[in-house]
Amino acid sequence: MKKARQLDPHCEAILREYQDNLPRFREVEQEVKERLRQTLADAGLLVAAIESRVKGYDSLAGKLELKGHKYSSLADLTDILGLRVITFYIDDVDKVASAVERLFDIDWENSVDKRKIHEIDSFGYLSLHYICKVPDFPYRFEIQMRTLLQHAWANMDHDTGYKSGVEIPRRYMRNMSRLAGMLELVDDEFSKIRIELTDYRRRVQALVRSGNLDEVPIDGDTFRSYLELEPFSQLNKRIAAMNQAEIQEVSLMPYLAIFKAIGLKTLGDISNLIRDYSEGAYQIACYQIGLTDLDIISSSIGPQDLCIAYILKIGGGKAGIKYMFDQLNGESESNETIAEMLMEQSKDLPFMNK
Amino acid sequence: MEVKINNQDGNATAQLIGRLDTPASQEISGDFETLAQYAAGTIILDCTQLEYISSSGLRLFLSLRKAAAAKGGKVIVKSINKDIRSVFMMTGFLNLFEIQD
Repeated sequence: MKKARQLDPHCEAILREYQDNLPRFREVEQEVKERLRQTLADAGLLVAAIESRVKGYDSLAGKLELKGHKYSSLADLTDILGLRVITFYIDDVDKVASAVERLFDIDWENSVDKRKIHEIDSFGYLSLHYICKVPDFPYRFEIQMRTLLQHAWANMDHDTGYKSGVEIPRRYMRNMSRLAGMLELVDDEFSKIRIELTDYRRRVQALVRSGNLDEVPIDGDTFRSYLELEPFSQLNKRIAAMNQAEIQEVSLMPYLAIFKAIGLKTLGDISNLIRDYSEGAYQIACYQIGLTDLDIISSSIGPQDLCIAYILKIGGGKAGIKYMFDQLNGESESNETIAEMLMEQSKDLPFMNK
Repeated sequence: MEVKINNQDGNATAQLIGRLDTPASQEISGDFETLAQYAAGTIILDCTQLEYISSSGLRLFLSLRKAAAAKGGKVIVKSINKDIRSVFMMTGFLNLFEIQD
């Protein structure tokens, strides 16, 4: 719905130009957004959101009504097309910026890093704005880059009805500044945590690669790194060879909880489990599928039968086996039937009688 | 081997009736292709009347699981009998599916 506005002929001309070019703006919006999305995805940069919009007619008319005299033509307005990339981490704002620099021509004179222009008594937690251009399109557009917390600030700030840095009653100024400072601090802390975690993962990977597994505690990260070494592969292949079975690779991450539940503390403990119980696991598999024509198994067969062999051998009994399957598949009475079956089978297994 | 498919709101339930051996797997592969069309939703394989499953049957189940994983859906295997549960366990398939009693 177009509101009735008092616009002079100059502003009316800008609005006509806008309407004539609106379809092209929408095309460029999609092109730019897709290039940005693809580039960030290729770089493995996970962002919270990429938003875009083409300024609406009423919004533009309102702007022109207020300050139309500042613009000689539509090309002077740089926010008809606007995109926003919202990152999780503060360091990623700079990475997105460098991707944007590579993808588009930047109008440096009009681009601002609002993060750097705070006055000492100003408040706000602002973002990086680039004014960009692409070939074959005469109009510039704006890309804002900010963290989720900067985004939160911008939205809350907008809601107070005050533009950053102006007209805020002094009594609220201090609280707003404290809040902005806190968000900045939180963003920095998140970044630090990420850096420390990355560093921890690198150190763990180095320890895993060098074989110092006894020094590596079991957690989600370390277990994932360990799985890259395919520690159960040899056992799985040995089991598969029985029936010339194909092995379906599946995630073994659910076994993290099982290994922890049976008391293993380090990757070295898992490695020892493989060393000490592979024969038992193989005997279980032999007993179960050796006389069948089943020629497909999943890669979880190795860890599953290792855990069964271990639980049986240490006397964990039916309750231990049921607990394991309850953890893996959800609690079920049927898991008790499986546990009973395994207990029965275990009497015939050589490793149990050693 | 018989498969009865009911679908509603992008989800499907299939009643599997009989013995899912190698010839039966070929016979019902078309039904599983139909089921794969619901891979973005929830597919329930009702095995109340399924008596037996072979490797070929496991492969059919697995292909459905892969289709569902690719499209963000899920496959629920419901009411498998003791023997089939045992086959799932012996092959390491037990924790690949959400299994309901």
